[in-house]
Amino acid sequence: MKPGRIIGTVTLAAGDPSFKGGRWVMISPMGSDELTRTNKNPVSEAFSLVAFDNLGAGLGDEVLYVEGAEAMQPFDRPIPLDAITVALLDTFKYTPPSKS
Amino acid sequence: MILARIDGHAVTSIGHPSLKGRTIVLCTPIDETGASEGSPFAAIDTLGAGMHSRVFITTDGSWTQDTVHDNHSPIRNQVMGLVD
Repeated sequence: MKPGRIIGTVTLAAGDPSFKGGRWVMISPMGSDELTRTNKNPVSEAFSLVAFDNLGAGLGDEVLYVEGAEAMQPFDRPIPLDAITVALLDTFKYTPPSKS
Repeated sequence: MILARIDGHAVTSIGHPSLKGRTIVLCTPIDETGASEGSPFAAIDTLGAGMHSRVFITTDGSWTQDTVHDNHSPIRNQVMGLVD
């Protein structure tokens, strides 16, 4: 599970039938600069990714998302998916020790 | 398994059912000297690891699914051991 911020949504003109009823969001992964709020820019340098979303994540929300085979776990039907949001963050605290 | 340091926590109310009631910690992968190496990630913690403590994080999804008793859970990272 990685932290990320929703920076946009994606609408499919056509897609795999198993995606019916799904919603897609664009996530910008949050690194230590974003988590410590030293980088206030909503978009981080990391590559953004498109993830499946059925939690209703809005623009600017901070979420936890998973990539890889785990993204298919919540579904009981085969679905060609490799990124999904698993939680909408209410709050988080991230304070690494300053020396390292 | 990943050697990491607990650097924070996250609170969520809307998410996958298997996350309900779970403590979510934010971890930074570290090397043997303790220096951060890599971007932070989240894991669930059942051992009550304290802030800045060094831990082992497992990436075994099936084992984590057993822990949360939900074989549809998308969680993979879980605190497995506290390093002395």
